[in-house]
Amino acid sequence: MSEIVTQSVSVRPSTGNLPWRLWAKQILAVLRLELRKSFLGRRALALYLLALAPVFILLLRVLLGGVNDAGDTAEATTIFSAVYQGFLLRMVIFLGCVAIFGNLVRREVLDRTLHYYFLTPLRREVLVGAKYLTGLIVATVLFGLSTLVSFILAYLPHEGVQTFLFQGPGLGHLASYLLITALACLGYGAVFLFFGFFFKSPAIPALMVFGWEGIHFLLPPMLKKVSVIHYLQSLLPVPMSEGPLAILADAPSPWIAIPGLIVLAAVLVTVSAMKIRRMEISYEEE
Amino acid sequence: MNAPSPHPAAVMHPEVPDDRRVIFENVSKFYGEVLGVNRVTLSIPPGITGLVGPNGSGKTTLMNLIVGLLQPTRGALSVLGVTTDRPEELFRLIGYSTQYDAFPPGMTGYQFVYSFLRVHGFGHAESEAMTWKAIERVGLVEAAGRKVAGYSKGMRQRIKLAQAMAHQPSVLILDEPLNGLDPMARAEVISLFRELAAGGLHVIVSSHILHEVDLISDQVVLLNGGYVVAEGEITGVRDEMEEQHPAQVLIRCDRPSLLASRVFEQDHVVEARIHEDGKGLLVRTRDADQFYLLLNQVVLENGLGIETVMPTDADVHAVYQYLIGSNGEKS
Repeated sequence: MSEIVTQSVSVRPSTGNLPWRLWAKQILAVLRLELRKSFLGRRALALYLLALAPVFILLLRVLLGGVNDAGDTAEATTIFSAVYQGFLLRMVIFLGCVAIFGNLVRREVLDRTLHYYFLTPLRREVLVGAKYLTGLIVATVLFGLSTLVSFILAYLPHEGVQTFLFQGPGLGHLASYLLITALACLGYGAVFLFFGFFFKSPAIPALMVFGWEGIHFLLPPMLKKVSVIHYLQSLLPVPMSEGPLAILADAPSPWIAIPGLIVLAAVLVTVSAMKIRRMEISYEEE
Repeated sequence: MNAPSPHPAAVMHPEVPDDRRVIFENVSKFYGEVLGVNRVTLSIPPGITGLVGPNGSGKTTLMNLIVGLLQPTRGALSVLGVTTDRPEELFRLIGYSTQYDAFPPGMTGYQFVYSFLRVHGFGHAESEAMTWKAIERVGLVEAAGRKVAGYSKGMRQRIKLAQAMAHQPSVLILDEPLNGLDPMARAEVISLFRELAAGGLHVIVSSHILHEVDLISDQVVLLNGGYVVAEGEITGVRDEMEEQHPAQVLIRCDRPSLLASRVFEQDHVVEARIHEDGKGLLVRTRDADQFYLLLNQVVLENGLGIETVMPTDADVHAVYQYLIGSNGEKS
């Protein structure tokens, strides 16, 4: 018997003794798998349509409005600011993050495929990190492109675009909007990843967050701090009026808003990673 | 009856050290108030181990506990000395083909096996070679480039098997691996299990097809209602039951009535019946060893011509019937 037993030797990946190297390889492998699913899967179509929605609206404006009737870039700045804050940030990015991050783990449970990851020598905490990173790449690419193209389309029909972009604040505005988009994906992504672990149907708490973020302007200053939009709005290059009913509060400085969102994301991803360590696979209960 | 359940180490190859075994130490699993398995103590050596039991008996729970997809409510378990809280080590040792007929969407058979080898940490060239080797072993080379979603049930079973063994684990756990396979594929897969077990692997197989479990298993674990009711090599389990369920032996011979008259003199024989065709004798005895000695004696003394001697209830099916009953009711 012992002769036979010694023949059974497991094949180990050649990684040396450094777990970081192994984890890096594993994260890349998960990214390859997940990015293919996210960008090329059938479910990606709804996300593409969502990301294209603001582009489509601004494209219609270009096609129907005509270049000759457009005013100067100040008008474009107002229009884009309204579209970005009222639609892209609050609706498109928010809903997109619900769909992307809320389903990172939840969808695998419903599809009964999560066990394939759990049966590899991949630490579950590393899996959560890799999944979050996937979501972040997908959301940032999709909504970053959406922001970029929308910005271009908003300014396209107006006179003095070149001056606004290269001699004025144009590029700075664009960089700010792209940064806000990335931070929104980071913050909302972590929130909805967290919901995916703690709720069987992440859509219900997501709806509550949607309502909370929606009435943000009515909240007293203390409660405003418990919302993602509060920190994102403080980074907007063109502040927008929130109406006569809005309760005013001091906007946090970028030095608080940016690290604050990063810390929030780190905490929520860490709690999610702790949750997955004790997670059991019992698809029958789903 | 009281199930024969001696300490496994006393039955199942005591010469194999603990770090070459899959060990359950008083493991219980409850789903809320519902019992999954209760107080399971097992020590499984290399070879093919069949898990047998009716639906809901705890076979899948036991397998899921081994790989850490479920956490035990009580007790501890280890696989070749590694506990389930060390995934980096554990999942290099284990391959598991689950009962779930689900796959990541949009993948070909090749991509399915290859992608998870990369998640293991293997490089591209290594993964590619290991993928083809595994796919070849399950006979799916021609279909490897097709989407798994278009596979037949049998092909899906085989690609799951390829994925489970692609990283060359030491312990292969297979939940109903023969489901959906045609007879030819079954024979090939069974032969593959034997080959792997001969190489020193643990192959733990659950199946409800008792004939096949009997055919392939070196040892069996019989489960009912979340409890292990018997375990060990099937002959050993059967021997333990002789007192309450006497062994049945069919002897095809030229003078069954002569043999019948001799066996009736023995205390351990509880029944002897001449076969319907008059060319054999069916004997039920509480001491099969004594009976075989007597049979030798009759042959030598009376020149009895024997064609075959065949135990008729020494297989896993008979043991299952005695211990669990046809409806899964423990007798």
